[in-house]
Amino acid sequence: MRKFTNLLKKEVKELITFQLIVSLLFTIGLFYFIGNIVQSEVQKAGEKRDIHVFNLDDSQESKALLDGLSYAGFKINLLEGKDKAEAIEYAKNSNINLLIVIPEGFSEAASKFQFKEIEAYSFIRSFSMTSSANAAIVDQVISEINKLLSNNFLKTNFPDFNPEDIKNPIKSRDFVVIKDIMAEGSAAEVSNIVYSQSIFIPVILMMIIVFSSQMVLSAMAMEKQDKTLETLLTVPISRNQIVIAKMAASALVGLISAGIYMLGFRYYMGGFMGNIHESGQLNELMQKLGLQFTSCDYVVLGISIFLAILCALGLTIILGVMVEDLKSAQTMILPLIFLVMIPYIISLFSDINSLSLPVKVLIMLIPFSHPFIASQNILLGNYAVVFYGILYMLVVFIILIFICGRIFSTDRVLTMKLRFGRKER
Amino acid sequence: MDNIILRVNNLRKNYGKIEALKGVSFEVKKGEIFALIGPNGAGKTTTLRIVATLLTPTDGSVEFMGFDLRKNPDKIRQGITYLPEEAGAYKNLTGLDYLKFMANFYAEKPQDVDMYIERAIKIVGFKDRLKDKVGTYSKGMTRKLLLARALMTKPKLAILDEPTSGLDVINSLEIREVIREFVKEGVSVLLSSHNMLEIDFLSDRVAIINNGQILEIGEPKALKDKYSADNLEEVFRRLVQ
Ligand SMILES: Nc1ncnc2c1ncn2[C@@H]1O[C@H](COP(=O)(O)OP(=O)(O)O)[C@@H](O)[C@H]1O
Ligand SMILES: [Mg+2]
Repeated sequence: MRKFTNLLKKEVKELITFQLIVSLLFTIGLFYFIGNIVQSEVQKAGEKRDIHVFNLDDSQESKALLDGLSYAGFKINLLEGKDKAEAIEYAKNSNINLLIVIPEGFSEAASKFQFKEIEAYSFIRSFSMTSSANAAIVDQVISEINKLLSNNFLKTNFPDFNPEDIKNPIKSRDFVVIKDIMAEGSAAEVSNIVYSQSIFIPVILMMIIVFSSQMVLSAMAMEKQDKTLETLLTVPISRNQIVIAKMAASALVGLISAGIYMLGFRYYMGGFMGNIHESGQLNELMQKLGLQFTSCDYVVLGISIFLAILCALGLTIILGVMVEDLKSAQTMILPLIFLVMIPYIISLFSDINSLSLPVKVLIMLIPFSHPFIASQNILLGNYAVVFYGILYMLVVFIILIFICGRIFSTDRVLTMKLRFGRKER
Repeated sequence: MDNIILRVNNLRKNYGKIEALKGVSFEVKKGEIFALIGPNGAGKTTTLRIVATLLTPTDGSVEFMGFDLRKNPDKIRQGITYLPEEAGAYKNLTGLDYLKFMANFYAEKPQDVDMYIERAIKIVGFKDRLKDKVGTYSKGMTRKLLLARALMTKPKLAILDEPTSGLDVINSLEIREVIREFVKEGVSVLLSSHNMLEIDFLSDRVAIINNGQILEIGEPKALKDKYSADNLEEVFRRLVQ
């Protein structure tokens, strides 16, 4: 036992390198960063939209109209000035993006049902998201004004009716159904939120798997290159213990990575949850539909990720047996990266459930596919799929350990080599 | 009979189609330095790796202190240490940590580790640098560190593959002296070299190996006399002609 802990200590020391710590910190940072961006975007969207107005129509009605706009969520900044040209000049020089000009005699004409045009000036200073957002604001402002005016008109002429009832005589109610749960709400909103929550998960999951196997593979490659593996295989300790120590050390490091991944993931989800809490209605809807991670869900997802990492590490040790040095390690990692890339790309651009059966089966055979689809399935309450995935990965892992043990107890650990077009000396 | 520690009998090893060993037999006596000498690719490393329990022979037998290689590799591992050719140590460990790590596999009680380390420090001859990472060592220092780890536990048999290859004259000389000293204290040594001249000074008996076959075995002096040669290199040339 003392020999084994001695060995395990060395294996862990070898894996926990400066590189590893940096990349784990990077992962947390990335999650935190994305979560924060999401949160600030959400806040921005919730803020009042700024518009500047130059009002040439100094009437009670136009003031009421502006009040209506401000009630509808626009922040009105009134510009002072002699004439339109001066107002435009001012807007140009003072970084105003959107200027609305209400013409002279606007409300007087409106009362006679002769509408004068409202002028909207958009100042494009760059071509970016904000400039196109400005264009959308113009549309919103105009449609809001139209709504206010037509409602006013309907109210004065048909005082007994609600103007909304005249304009839209038929109402609809939206319901979302997920499995047995039904709740009132918009399907578009719900799927939008879930999609935006899950879009970054595969990216980072892929990074973790690829990274931790790269780490183990380079450690193995160094052992081969420096022949420390040969030395180790001649000391009085059983080969099984050597394999188990390697696995245990990798698993430990994998567990730490998965734990850190989950920590970062909570930060990241925090960004969305903040958003949902603000709009209480949506929050209630998500809760009712069960579309929120409970602590238990986090644990299940964590296990799924951990097992995927273990499978990757087991496979890596087998690949590691075939490498001769660090350089060939880089080539050797490629098949593994392919295996991770397939579910990664599919989960990014498509839905695994919508694929044809043979393709689906093939994808499910790749152990790494399971954590990629786990988070969605957990949200949707399809726990069976997630648990089968976990069971499958466990079986694969046990098989991999068994293969490792076999390889290490024979010559093959030293003589098994794959050559890539290189000739023997 | 009793003073023979290692018996290698008709050893064969194939790597796929390559016949690396074609029936190698020799014996190592207690307290002697036995050297396998021969050109590159002769089969020296293959032989040593088999004796060190790293490879399983295709045919033939190896018996170490009465234990059969195939049946009791664990018993053999307790009595030997192996120094691979062109080996390194874990670059992220300090020299001292490396020695401690290896010592722990052989120590029966904690005091043993201290004793092994003390011996190792005498062998390497640089105490201060042992606190530095192995990655910062020169080739000579690394080789001495590895030799120290192979000898510090005073194994029954130290298997050293090309212990001095690639080293300068001074380092080679120091390593040869250390080996000699440990043999006096009861360690037997099986080593290999492609440098036939240096083996002349170092070994008690040599086996000349070529193409997976042993051509001659004997004391260097006896071999030189037999082939009326000035040195072992000439003996080898006579043998392959
Ligand atoms: N892992 C291996 N796979 C295939 N052939 C090998 C392997 N190791 C050694 N050989 C071959 O076996 C022969 C003996 O090699 P080796 O024992 O390393 O010789 P030496 O140590 O005397 O230079 C050589 O022809 C070599 O190419
Ligand atoms: Mg060799």
